[in-house]
Amino acid sequence: MARRGFRVERLPGSAAIAMLTFVLLYVPIVILVVFSFNAGASQAQWEGFSLEWYAAAFGNRQVQEVSIRSLWLAAVAAGIATVLAVFAALGTTRVGRFPGQTLIYALINQPLMVPEIVTGIALLILVAAVKVQTGYTGMGYLVLAHTAFCIPFAYLPVRARLETLDPALEAAAADLYAGPFQAFRHVTLPLLVPGIVAGFMLGFVISLDTVVITEFVKSAGQDTLPTYMLGQLRRTTTPEMNAIATLFLLLSVLIVTAFFILTRVRGR
Amino acid sequence: MAADIEISGVTKVFGQGEAAFTALSGIDLTIRAGEFFTLLGPSGCGKTTLLRLIAGFEEPTAGRIRLDGADMTGLGPNRRPVNTVFQSYALFPHMTVAQNIGFGLRMLGRPRPEVESKVAEMLRLVRMESLAARRPAEISGGQQQRVALARALAPRPKVLLLDEPLSALDLKLRKEMQGELKRLQHETGITFVFVTHDQEEALTMSDRIAVMQAGRILQVGTPEEIYHAPADRFVADFIGETNFLTLAVASPPADGELTLRLPGGTTAAARVPPGFVAAPGDRVTTIIRPEQIELAEDAPAELAGRVEGDTFFGTDTHLHLRLEDGQAVVVRRQNRPGRPRPPQGATVGLRLAPGALRVLPE
Ligand SMILES: Nc1ncnc2c1ncn2[C@@H]1O[C@H](COP(=O)(O)OP(=O)(O)OP(=O)(O)O)[C@@H](O)[C@H]1O
Ligand SMILES: [Mg+2]
Repeated sequence: MARRGFRVERLPGSAAIAMLTFVLLYVPIVILVVFSFNAGASQAQWEGFSLEWYAAAFGNRQVQEVSIRSLWLAAVAAGIATVLAVFAALGTTRVGRFPGQTLIYALINQPLMVPEIVTGIALLILVAAVKVQTGYTGMGYLVLAHTAFCIPFAYLPVRARLETLDPALEAAAADLYAGPFQAFRHVTLPLLVPGIVAGFMLGFVISLDTVVITEFVKSAGQDTLPTYMLGQLRRTTTPEMNAIATLFLLLSVLIVTAFFILTRVRGR
Repeated sequence: MAADIEISGVTKVFGQGEAAFTALSGIDLTIRAGEFFTLLGPSGCGKTTLLRLIAGFEEPTAGRIRLDGADMTGLGPNRRPVNTVFQSYALFPHMTVAQNIGFGLRMLGRPRPEVESKVAEMLRLVRMESLAARRPAEISGGQQQRVALARALAPRPKVLLLDEPLSALDLKLRKEMQGELKRLQHETGITFVFVTHDQEEALTMSDRIAVMQAGRILQVGTPEEIYHAPADRFVADFIGETNFLTLAVASPPADGELTLRLPGGTTAAARVPPGFVAAPGDRVTTIIRPEQIELAEDAPAELAGRVEGDTFFGTDTHLHLRLEDGQAVVVRRQNRPGRPRPPQGATVGLRLAPGALRVLPE
């Protein structure tokens, strides 16, 4: 048991700093959740337990509308991004090394590196120009922007999964008379499923959460849940926002938990 | 049913320019229909590469591979009637044992009832009926091995390629599977091409063996030929244990034999390879296996050696001796009750089994 070497927990004050970090991380969230159950309209004074703000949130037509738009957008964007990510992962891991491979990785992962605000402004300028040219103001712009933004998040788990697949499995499929498509369909694809589901879920959460890009790209009446909440908060804050935020939090936590369970259990 | 494989002038070069590496050079080999053929050689000699060329995973840089007379060049692995048992087994983890075994037949588009009856037959053949619904992760290494075998045999290939299929198994299971493989080969009549770097495994299982080194084939022959008449020093050294003795020629070769002068002055006959030329007084390299030398006990001795040590092997003991001229020899002696080991430092008389001494071609 005589473990030697650097042990961070031995540093003086490390426990206090760790505690403080957790407090700073979670206390605001706890306060947010607690006040979503407040009977009064105050964000600072507890006036008793009530579900009235949840009722208000559920009854609010606008909240319903933006929630559905958010979920729809996240599903579509994450779906398309995942399909593209699978192709990208196959193209970058199943062909051996090729010149410019690192550049391709960088290009695929661009949204991870370029500041969101830069992407947002760039998209704003482009989308404004296209809108003027074509007159089209539908959801297409948001779908495209979110898809592009989701691709690296969907790509990384798919690629990680693909890299751990034994290449002998595909060789065995070919040896047993499977053509290239059959080998993909019956061997590679089923084994990629955990990576694909994980990639889709990550993309979904990322799309749900994105404020900056949506804010710059959306046309009138295309608010998503986060941009709607931001708009509301600029005026007044009632615990209705707390209730919506709490539900939003719950959804994200559920998805992220499912993601972890999936990558742990099925990722063997 | 089974097919012969004709490999002619096959060379395989990996990489290009500076980094080019010749893994196989000028391989000429005919594997006969229905035989148990073994590729034997040290790690990195090109055994797997040769198998991959036969299976179609790689194309030769030069040369041709024919199967039953048909040129296989340019045909992918899915278009060759050849199946492989991979060293890592490569079982599909998301399929059951039965689905794994049926995979090849399904890909060939065979009707469902046929697939099912073939799978049942294969499960019986490898004695895995009770585990048909398990996944590969839920069965033991030996069982996975049998499933890999059944999966490769199910489509009735003309040739089965086995790349060190037993190397991951423990000794007992390994012996058991060796028997199993021989039985399966006998029952199916399929040509087996078996890769191993275990010389004992090669000797016990094969109809014929090709000994490879550094991308070349050094010798092809039956286990007896390879063991008793190795083509060169490498083969002699790689297969079994061998004593190399440098001896002086007493009389030139005649009728496939010549006479050599042993340290101590007596002479002994040794077999020579065809066309071997030597004059009296020349020094030649000879080989003799440790079990072909015995202690003279009461009979007249041909040689004398001083005991320098011994190694106990259970069934027998290796005595390490030094001859009068300083050359070292190992003598293998069966352990029997009431047969004491000669003490260290003792000088013992030795006899060579008639016909056991062979001159190596230079
Ligand atoms: N794809 C490849 N690219 C470059 N070199 C390769 C490639 N495949 C094999 N080699 C080289 O060719 C030589 C023969 O390899 P091969 O796998 O056939 O050896 P082997 O006889 O099967 O050895 P082992 O007993 O260790 O499996 C080795 O030196 C190996 O490094
Ligand atoms: Mg090998």
